[in-house]
Amino acid sequence: MKDYSALLFALTVFFSLWAVMARKLLTSAIMLALVSVCVSLIFFDFGAPWAGVFELSVCAGLITVLFIGAVSLIRSDEEKRPEGRAAFLALPLAAAIFAIAGWFYLPAFFTELADWVRPGNGRATLGQALWELRRPDLLGQILMLAAGVFVIKSVFPRRNEK
Amino acid sequence: MTSFAMEWYLIALMLFVGFYGMLASRSIVRQLIGLEIVSKAAMLALISAGALSDNLVYAQALLLTMIVIEVVVVAAGLALLVKTFRINGTADIWRLDSLKG
Repeated sequence: MKDYSALLFALTVFFSLWAVMARKLLTSAIMLALVSVCVSLIFFDFGAPWAGVFELSVCAGLITVLFIGAVSLIRSDEEKRPEGRAAFLALPLAAAIFAIAGWFYLPAFFTELADWVRPGNGRATLGQALWELRRPDLLGQILMLAAGVFVIKSVFPRRNEK
Repeated sequence: MTSFAMEWYLIALMLFVGFYGMLASRSIVRQLIGLEIVSKAAMLALISAGALSDNLVYAQALLLTMIVIEVVVVAAGLALLVKTFRINGTADIWRLDSLKG
């Protein structure tokens, strides 16, 4: 693992911890955006630029805007009824226990998992993969977007004048 | 230890943090943030596996679908949050059942 890649992975885990532990929801939303930025940099580092661009524009951009809009709406409730902090403050301890316990089992398991890999040819372009080989995925994406629009339409029905 | 094993070890840690966040909080926003972290870990796992097997192109194609699904899930979740906040004045996930009927 390269130093740059290891640093990005470590930053991603750190910002995830911060996003979960932050007292204010706005801080959580911003930390989540930073997680997305780190993830997109990791994608670029892996040689997956399309994934990186989408992650950066959609997840770090659009989803953060949605979160910040929602947080600004419920800010009064957050200040009125703050959540108990004990469970969040225990997170570093729980994560450390998981990390130490997992260190003995997980890397060995993942190393064995990597031995099962069957190398692909890696020659196709993203255009071929999207438009030819995985064309049904596009139909699925369109259906998902339609389902999202339908959910929002049914959650916020038009008000009846009567 | 191989690079792949180290990457997946950190991804597993990230999954743990996301699930912990979802379990520890009753706020819908924090639940969605936990879900986002879990989703990011899954994306990293997908791309890492794609890089290992020299199939990055297919991994990227799958990941684009995953991003679309993620956006729709977050938008639907936040729409439910706005609705439940208008009705109950709180973002508590246990009050979502008041939306039934």
